[in-house]
Amino acid sequence: MKLPVAWMREFVDLPDGPSPVADRLAACGFAVDGIDDDVVDFDVTANRPDALSVYGLAREASAAFDVDLRPLRLAATPSGAAPVRVSIADNGCGRYALAVADVCVGPSPEWLRDRLASAGVRPINIIVDITNYVMLEMGQPMHAFDVARLAGPELRVRRARAGEPLTTLDGIARTLDETMLVIADRDRAVAVAGVMGGASSEVTDATTRVAFESAWFQPGTVRATGRRLGLKTEASARFERGADINAPVAALRRALALLADLGAGTVVGGLSDVYPRGADARVLTLRRARLTTVLGTAVPDATIPRTLTRLGFDVAPTDDGWRVTVPSFRVDILREIDLIEEVGRHWGLDRVPAHFPALASIPRASAPGVSRGRLVRRTLCGAGIQEAVTFTFIDAAAAAPFLADDAVTITNPLSEKFAVLRPSIVASLYDSLVYNRNRQATDVRLFEVGSTFSSTRGERTAVGWVLSGSRGSHWSGDAGAVAFTDTKGAAELVAEALGAPITAAAADDLTWLARGERAAVLVGAQRAGWIGRLAETRDVDVPVYAGELDLDVISRAAVSGAREIRPLPRFPAAVRDLSILVDERLPAAEVRGTIRSSAPATLVAVREFDRYQGKGVPSGQVSLSIRLTFRHADRTLTDAEVQQAVETIVDALVQAHHAVLRGR
Amino acid sequence: MLPDLPALRSEFDAALAGARTTADLKAIRDRFLGRKAGLLTALLKALGTVAPDERRARGAAVNALKTDIEARLAERESAAIVEDVAPGVDITLPGRVPAFGRRHPLTQVRERIEDIFAGMGYQIIEGPELEDDWHNFEALNMPGDHPARDMQDTLYLATPMPADEQGRRASLLRTHTSGMQIRYMEAFPPPVRLIAPGRVYRRDNFDATHTPMFTQVEGLVVDEGISLGDLKGTLQAFANAFFEASVKTRLRPSFFPYTEPSAELDVECQGCGGRGCGLCKQTGWIEVLGCGMVHPAVFEAVGYDAGKYTGFAFGVGIERLALRLYGVDDIRMFYENDLRFLEQLAP
Repeated sequence: MKLPVAWMREFVDLPDGPSPVADRLAACGFAVDGIDDDVVDFDVTANRPDALSVYGLAREASAAFDVDLRPLRLAATPSGAAPVRVSIADNGCGRYALAVADVCVGPSPEWLRDRLASAGVRPINIIVDITNYVMLEMGQPMHAFDVARLAGPELRVRRARAGEPLTTLDGIARTLDETMLVIADRDRAVAVAGVMGGASSEVTDATTRVAFESAWFQPGTVRATGRRLGLKTEASARFERGADINAPVAALRRALALLADLGAGTVVGGLSDVYPRGADARVLTLRRARLTTVLGTAVPDATIPRTLTRLGFDVAPTDDGWRVTVPSFRVDILREIDLIEEVGRHWGLDRVPAHFPALASIPRASAPGVSRGRLVRRTLCGAGIQEAVTFTFIDAAAAAPFLADDAVTITNPLSEKFAVLRPSIVASLYDSLVYNRNRQATDVRLFEVGSTFSSTRGERTAVGWVLSGSRGSHWSGDAGAVAFTDTKGAAELVAEALGAPITAAAADDLTWLARGERAAVLVGAQRAGWIGRLAETRDVDVPVYAGELDLDVISRAAVSGAREIRPLPRFPAAVRDLSILVDERLPAAEVRGTIRSSAPATLVAVREFDRYQGKGVPSGQVSLSIRLTFRHADRTLTDAEVQQAVETIVDALVQAHHAVLRGR
Repeated sequence: MLPDLPALRSEFDAALAGARTTADLKAIRDRFLGRKAGLLTALLKALGTVAPDERRARGAAVNALKTDIEARLAERESAAIVEDVAPGVDITLPGRVPAFGRRHPLTQVRERIEDIFAGMGYQIIEGPELEDDWHNFEALNMPGDHPARDMQDTLYLATPMPADEQGRRASLLRTHTSGMQIRYMEAFPPPVRLIAPGRVYRRDNFDATHTPMFTQVEGLVVDEGISLGDLKGTLQAFANAFFEASVKTRLRPSFFPYTEPSAELDVECQGCGGRGCGLCKQTGWIEVLGCGMVHPAVFEAVGYDAGKYTGFAFGVGIERLALRLYGVDDIRMFYENDLRFLEQLAP
């Protein structure tokens, strides 16, 4: 709301210059967007339609500076009947007042044009300018019809007919529907109620008789109509926030006073005022004790009625506070707490002494996901993967590889780029990989913790990662390019951090991953995620390894007591290394299984430490080197015992897998 | 006759060029800068004998030479250490730093805020990003036709989602994390002292100052006798801890449907100390968060006794604080994940 301060000075005596006014009103809740010469641009919050006017802000200033508010100068109410009939056929209009005047249309005087322009409204002609002047001054939107161009002469407030045409003042031919409220003459719609007038009855220089409309329309109706038409006007902005149901007649009288002052015309007949259901003033109780409790400070008794009275409330003392009658222009004041806010903001929030709330009870524990998220983030950072944050909505093409038919889509996305909620973290993280590779980064390792979405499984919390390029180069030697084992390692690390043992298993449904380099991650028999190489690497010319884990599944599978420390061994371990030749298609897990099932209880660890194919290894076979660790809890194992165990294991491997022991 | 400074400089240059070992360097240091017999030391001592009108210029020239000699000696001395340990490892080659990533700046700021409130006895809660109308709007004093729904243009789901235990279905992307607080109050009686961090969504353009997704931390305290004064004290404690200084703050009245009275908290601009600069648009203040006393209608919606309990709530935008903290002027940088940006952060 652009406010020329000189205009406000017509109603209140204020300190010189715009700044003190701007500062004081800002402290009362009207943020200042800018000051240009004598014009202050106030940011009026959505709950205060009454302050979208010079007089409304003057009222605030009268309370803020504790000065009197002078009344508006209104013309006497003319008597008799208006020569245009008015009827209301819909509840969307709560009141419709009208006055008719014979006029001589021409440009407004310079001072009026300047004043409108400085408030951001374009001057048009003296009649339209008077309606805009009254709207800016009082916050009551008005409209003027050229009576000669109305069929009737009568005006009806009714619902539009489906498909009813109306060309609005902005020259756009619009098609209306039954949800919209219109002002119509005998034959057709001539204005969209509360939003914009029609071109067919527009006031022009040839107009000799006008009908001034000053009405009250239901906020929801105006809002819905404006939305459907894609039209927001100064009038609709005020009506949809809630206009003053008692303002229509006063606004007409103000317009007539201006008409007379400017010598632009004379009223014909009296006022029409159709007001089917009168409204009672709202009366609220304001308790002194409640005010003190909420604000945390006692505002002096004398201040409270003084402030409220200056703001237009009627205040009467009671035993424990005040009985307060709310003026009809304060549509935002519905209950006691609203009055407490009025007192608080004019008393000054900065005058409320700061206090610190006592901790009177035992705090409840935080959500488990909080520390879990922190652990996962720190673990993966420590493993050399950079955390990223990406948008959870992506385009359909990026989501498609990860989807069955369970996509969650957005009705009103900003663009197709943001239309689908990601089914996988990797689906959105991949874009950041591409972004970095396009900027000369070769080794890109990123992870993200966040939500994934599907219409069947709903919202899940997951961690996903993408790895590409080298594992990191150093002058002392190259660590090589990332491979399947790196993405598996990331999964194992997260699982280890959360205390849940995972296994990798073949799966056919991971179609976004390359055959031969993909696996489902299981905890027990339950699917907890996936790892592998992406089958399609859009805009990237190196392999991209990725993985994702459902954090809820993983943490539910956490073994209780897994973090309990076992006693340290008191006797030394015996370590033996085995190298065997086996079929290259034989999974290491099966070899490990055979070893474990054949070995005595003294076998405490099995670890693969080399896998080799090439010179010396027949084709189709692989050399697998395995380190076996034996230990007895109560004594040192003898060489013979260990040797016996190893031989048993080798026998089992030969039998089960036709393994050939190497280097013997 | 006073020694000629250029000659002294040439002598030093020649000596330094000829130095091979740390012992050589030590000898040069003693000859020129020695505390007792150093040539320059002597010159400085002899300044008293110079005619007063020349003394200032002479002193400056001697000092300049001394500074230069000191700097060049120091440079050679540090390099000389390398020579002394040769032929072992080259200790100037970069060490093998284990690969490490950095937490995203939005995570770092979020955890910082969480830690501050956790230290004040707040519990941290979590909740769904897909919300139903009740938890995102209705229960927060924004019924169907409420104009405030315009204030935060909402992204709605086109896909029907499974119903929860109460039969409610998520229909939108949450526009704030307040829905979590409603869920919490529906499940637990007062007192309440919590923060609710998380991603939120608005139908905003993606440009230097707006994103359709951003991160919030909201806070809620409910108990008997909680007042606006408690809110002020709490936010002052937060501001001091976050900015690691005793910062000036102010509350400006504002409007939110779910708080009454509502306010914005401004913190004195740290860039200019409140005098006004580009960062604070010449106002001297930086808008940090929105806050207020919980509207009784919210308590009524969750079944709290609005006559007995009062409370306060606040909401901080993490991106806005992160922009300040890292001196970044384009919010998009937080979502591009450019490694050249992220790798400048603390590990």
